[in-house]
Amino acid sequence: MEYLIAGSVEEALRLMGGLDEQGRSARYVAGGTDLAVQLAGNAAGGQPEALVDVSGIPELLRLERAPGGALSIGAAVRLETLARSADLPACLSQGARAIGSPQIRALGTLGGNLCNASPCGDTLAPVIALGGRLVLASVEGRREVPAEEFFTGPKATVLRPGELLVEVDFGPAALAGRSAFRMIGQREGQAISQVNVAVWLLAEGGRMAEVRAAAGSVAPTPVRLAAAEKLLRGQAWSQGLGREAGQAAAEEVRPIDDVRAPAAYRRLLTAALLREALAEACEGVQ
Amino acid sequence: MQLEFTCNGRPVRMQADGSMRALDLLRDLLGLTGTKEGCGRGECGACTILVDGSPVNACLLYAAKLQGRAVLTVEGLAKGEVLHPLQEAFLEEGAVQCGYCTPGLLLSSKALLDRVPHPTDPEIEQALSGNLCRCTGYAKILKAVQRAADRAGRGDGTSRRGREAGR
Repeated sequence: MEYLIAGSVEEALRLMGGLDEQGRSARYVAGGTDLAVQLAGNAAGGQPEALVDVSGIPELLRLERAPGGALSIGAAVRLETLARSADLPACLSQGARAIGSPQIRALGTLGGNLCNASPCGDTLAPVIALGGRLVLASVEGRREVPAEEFFTGPKATVLRPGELLVEVDFGPAALAGRSAFRMIGQREGQAISQVNVAVWLLAEGGRMAEVRAAAGSVAPTPVRLAAAEKLLRGQAWSQGLGREAGQAAAEEVRPIDDVRAPAAYRRLLTAALLREALAEACEGVQ
Repeated sequence: MQLEFTCNGRPVRMQADGSMRALDLLRDLLGLTGTKEGCGRGECGACTILVDGSPVNACLLYAAKLQGRAVLTVEGLAKGEVLHPLQEAFLEEGAVQCGYCTPGLLLSSKALLDRVPHPTDPEIEQALSGNLCRCTGYAKILKAVQRAADRAGRGDGTSRRGREAGR
C-alpha cells in the first residue's frame, strides 16, 4: 500500500485524481483510528492501493472564530483539541470527550469522525444540533452541505469519489446559544454510545426561542428530533416539559436491536438523555 | 519512504514502508520490543507510545506519521541504570503482575504527569482509561502514579498527602 502525504487541499485532490486515472484504489486518511482498524480486518472492498494522508494540511488544521462569532473548524483538528477547548460550543467538546481513549483522541479528527459516518459517532449529533455546514472540496470546486444532509446511511455520506471534507462552519448562533451532549455506553471509558443526544438552544426572555436536538445510534444516520423540538420551541424549561419532549423523542426515533442495546432500551435512553441534556443547557436561563 | 524522527532522544534515519504500523517499525526494525501488541485495534493500550508527548496507539499509527516527530517508548524512560520515578513507583507499589500492560501504562502516566504534575484520582483514571490491565485491577496502579507524583513534588519538602492533610 503506497502512502502519500498531501501538503495542501489542492495536492490531495490532485493525488487522488492521479491515482484514479491510473485505475488505482485509494482512500484519504487523517488520524487513521477508524481506517487502520477497518483495513487491518477484512475491509469490504479489499485493501486500497494507496492512502493519501491529509492530517498535516494547514487549511485542515485551522480553528478560527470570525469577528462576528462564526466558527470554522478544520477537518483534521484532533478530537483531543476539541475535548480540551473551553471556548467551543459545549456539546461539541463533550461529544469529542466521549470518543475512545486519550490515545484515540490524540490521533482522531473531527473530519474523520464525521466521514466515517458511524451512526454512533459522538461528534455527529453535536454538529447537527449546532447547525454545522460541511465544506467539501473536489477538482470541480467546493460545495457546502448542511450537516443533517451529509449522512445517508450507516458509514455512508454524500461525499463523491475523490471529494474531501475541508472544514465545518458554524454560524454565530452556535456559540451564542447554549448546548449540551449526553451519551450512555456500557462503561465510562472507551465505550461506544448506545445512544447519544445533543441539544442546542437560544434562550430569550426565559424561553427557548430556537432549539435543535439530534440523536445518534437510534437510526441508520444521526437524526434531528423534530417532534421534540416542536414541543420545546417557544416554551420555558420545566421538568414536565423535559419529560414530554423526551417522550416525543422516544416515539420518533427508529432504533434497532443489536449487540450493543435493544431497541426498546434505546427509546428509553433517548428520552432520558434528551431530558438531561436539556436540563443542563437550560441551567440558569431566566 | 525516507523517515527521520527522534526515538528516545536519538535521531533515527531509515527507509521504511510508510503504511506499516509504527508498532512493527519499532519492534521489528528498531528492535524496541518493550512496546507490546495486545488487541491490535486501539482498544487495550498495550502499544501506547508518546509522540510529541501525546499518548497514541502504535498499532493504529502509520509509520509515515512518525516523520519529524519525537517518539518515546518504554526503553527511553530510564536514564542508564536509573529508573524513571514512575518505574520506581510501579515496583514499590507492586503495580505489575504479568507486566504486559505496564509499558503502555507507564507512558500514559508519564503523559499525564507531564501535563498535570499533581493529578487527582479521577484525573488518573481518565488518563489511563485507554490502558487495560487484565491481571490485577487498577488500585495499585493508581497508587503508583500518585506515589510518583508525590516524589516529583518533594522539592518543597512535603508529599501531596502531607499538604492535603495540612489544609
